[in-house]
Amino acid sequence: MAETQNVYEIPIGPIHPALKEPIRFTFQVEGERIRGVDIRTGFAHRGIEFMAMKRNLIQILYLSERICGICSISHPIAITLAVERAAGIEVPPRAQYLRVIYSELERIHSHLLWAGVAAHELGFDTLLHLTWKVREQVLDLLEELSGNRIDYALPIYGGVRRDVAPEQIPKVEAMARYYRGLLDELLDAFLRDPSVEARTRNVGILTAEEADSLCAVGPTARASGLSKDVRQDRPYLVYGELGVKAITPRDYGLEPRGDVYDKAVVRLLEVAQSLDLIEKCLYEMPEGEITSFPKVPALLAHLKKAEGEGLGYHEAPRGEVIHYIRLEAGVEEPMVWKVKAPTYSNLMSWVPMFRDQEVADIPIVAASIDPCMCCMDRVHVVRDGSPGTVLKEELLRLSREKTERLTRHLSPVPRHGGAA
Amino acid sequence: MTALHLVWQAATVLVGGGLLGLVYKGFDRKLAARMQARIGPPLRQPFLDVGKLLVKESVVPKDAVGWLFKAMPFLAVIASFTVLLYLPWGPFPAILRSGGDAILVLYLLAVPAVAMALGGFASGSPLATVGAQREIVMLMSYEFPLAVAVVGVVWRLATLGGGPAFSLGAIAAAPLWALVGPLGVIGLAILAACLLIVTPAELSKIPFDIPEAETEIAGGLMVEYSGVYLALFYLADAAKTIAMAALVVTLFAPYGIAGLLGLSGAGAQAVDLVFHLLKIFVVMFAAVTTVRVAMARLKIDQVARGFWLQITAVAVAGLVLLVLDRMVVG
Amino acid sequence: MTADQVKKTLASAVPGLEAELRSRPVGVRTRVEVPELWATVSREGLVPAVAALKAAGPLHISVISGRDAGEGIELLYHFAVGYGTPGGEVTVTLRVTVSKSDPVLPSICHLLPGAETSEREKIEFLGLSFTGIPSTAHVFLPDDFPGHPWRKDDPETAKLVNRLVEWEGKNG
Repeated sequence: MAETQNVYEIPIGPIHPALKEPIRFTFQVEGERIRGVDIRTGFAHRGIEFMAMKRNLIQILYLSERICGICSISHPIAITLAVERAAGIEVPPRAQYLRVIYSELERIHSHLLWAGVAAHELGFDTLLHLTWKVREQVLDLLEELSGNRIDYALPIYGGVRRDVAPEQIPKVEAMARYYRGLLDELLDAFLRDPSVEARTRNVGILTAEEADSLCAVGPTARASGLSKDVRQDRPYLVYGELGVKAITPRDYGLEPRGDVYDKAVVRLLEVAQSLDLIEKCLYEMPEGEITSFPKVPALLAHLKKAEGEGLGYHEAPRGEVIHYIRLEAGVEEPMVWKVKAPTYSNLMSWVPMFRDQEVADIPIVAASIDPCMCCMDRVHVVRDGSPGTVLKEELLRLSREKTERLTRHLSPVPRHGGAA
Repeated sequence: MTALHLVWQAATVLVGGGLLGLVYKGFDRKLAARMQARIGPPLRQPFLDVGKLLVKESVVPKDAVGWLFKAMPFLAVIASFTVLLYLPWGPFPAILRSGGDAILVLYLLAVPAVAMALGGFASGSPLATVGAQREIVMLMSYEFPLAVAVVGVVWRLATLGGGPAFSLGAIAAAPLWALVGPLGVIGLAILAACLLIVTPAELSKIPFDIPEAETEIAGGLMVEYSGVYLALFYLADAAKTIAMAALVVTLFAPYGIAGLLGLSGAGAQAVDLVFHLLKIFVVMFAAVTTVRVAMARLKIDQVARGFWLQITAVAVAGLVLLVLDRMVVG
Repeated sequence: MTADQVKKTLASAVPGLEAELRSRPVGVRTRVEVPELWATVSREGLVPAVAALKAAGPLHISVISGRDAGEGIELLYHFAVGYGTPGGEVTVTLRVTVSKSDPVLPSICHLLPGAETSEREKIEFLGLSFTGIPSTAHVFLPDDFPGHPWRKDDPETAKLVNRLVEWEGKNG
């Protein structure tokens, strides 16, 4: 770009209607064309490490659930897999199936959430409202199974905390039937609508080479044609036996282009895939225990004795989530707890996706990787980090002081303009 | 007609038009909500919104060109309400009328868009600047098909010798459909369709709400406006919605039903007025409400290309048919 | 791509590199062993090892996790080699330890651009530096954030919270 006088900057975020969570893009724009982008993250960095530093693994499990409201099964699954590996805990067969059922339910609700957000970013609010209306079905089911719409507290080290009761099975089946019946309509509304197609085709392209070299994960990578799905590539739980296959636009009869349209194709087809998996699990699931440690004190005692390290990975709705944990015998807190959420991996793919797009494409391209800032701006635990270790009470006091300070400094804003 | 009488009539039209605009906005929002499986706001919500905005603080940004920023909402309101004075209201002729007022209305309809663009540029925000650029591009895009549709109709009437040339009053008094030949009817239908497509663009509604594009540029032109100034733009938009729909009705469906019902006198006038308002509502519902719930927002280049090429071509085809009709029918 | 092949590739790329195979038993009806390789590699051996992994198959880096291990800084590069076929991906973790007096590592971004975010994160949190990294901008912390939060010996870290409060008082 030899001429720079026509290039001006548009800031998007950290607070902006296109963003559901805080992040800051600074776009260099020439007319309506984007020439460059600078991405700043960290606005949702909540210092969970301070909170987790003096907590035992059970407490950290519930903390991991609160990394992100939408992935509140994915993160616990990853951490339980990591800890079970580090501490040598077996998971009963039934619990493995149940974990799959719960995480696929989460995938359905997350993808529908994305579809609604995407429609809103395109200015198609009708589609947003209708998608979110049908999303209520799966949320209701999750509430029925766990007691909560989000933050389900289902996985625990060694199993799961709640079973699917026989009388609940018809409800799960009804949910599956409901979405099967709707799937065609959903595909119609998103993939065969001319105005949606005009806004998503050839927009925000991530080529297969870029997706591969930037290590993109989840639907973002699959839309570019990469057959990359943790459930397929690195089997865990019972995914290997269920025969999961990574979904790419080829499954819809399209040559992958890596644009926003392809990302919608992949996510919508994955809703159908999740329905299949849930039904398969329901029928194949054996009877039996749902956890190898029914008593939490026994579990805690076992974890305290454990020594070792482990990796737990899981295909969250947005892509690969991976937790690394290192335990030391005799202490309750982990030495290291490292969380990697999908958006962390997909962050870099925004740069090629925004290249030479229009200002109007910003919201949908930003949304196309289904970013989850609170996941990405996450946490890290280093046991006994420093002499200045801060306890929860101390943090609470500090945050209250800060609120007070802010309130004190809030002086009356000078008024401009004439009107009352 | 005394001057006082004229002032009284004008006041009625202005106040009535403003109120009607807000009522229609309420219906628009409620009906859109029902189509989106929502409950939606109460019908009086636009009134509450305006009332709230009037008591809110009006912030003028530090970087803004203050006088321009403050003047533009007034310009937008004045222009869009003036259009109401030039439009016939069913059985009642326009308050202000002269030969060529159809052309004047075209210009007046463009003024609020220009005012919004200038206000956007003056507000000193990069988002508003993008919005203002888009508004100008939009204006340049839809203005030609709009002009072709309006001018085509009034020109055809003038060639038939119906009243003063290029007058809305004349077209309202003498609906064209019955006066032209078959080619002319096809031409008129094409122009009517073009005008319906231009309507949401003129009013900056989805899929053409590009200058405001909430999810992209956070309200664009309007992003820095608040309080009274925002209320004025809101009112201007309400009045412009009525004006645009009324223009469509006047040009293409200026029929009353009093004659069919066998009414006369004040009763006939009242029925025709209500019928006229109903037609305006139908136009608004068809061209604005249903369109905005059924589509995604388009991009500025898609809209510009669409209007400059396809819609303009269609509008010109309609005009050519009217010219041919003039040659055939005379 | 089997774990053995990856193991051999690594050994031939970096002499003396012995990867440990820790299989993960997976499945209920049919048990399979999902391979996980763990290897300790020297700072000098890191780039050849990653290059060998890249040549072995499509390479994915999950994340680099790191910790202050007292005398040095331990980094774990979590890779996965060979996605695309059911059960065909091998998890490879490379453990690199650098001394605190010379906390410099070669960047692997030229081989795997996707590692940039993770390397940048290590710069701000562990006070490392990577030679040849395209950008050193902070990912999560403010640009003028003092200290490196994951370092236990960092004098700044000791006063981290107090400084944080000061910083907020100054700027917020």
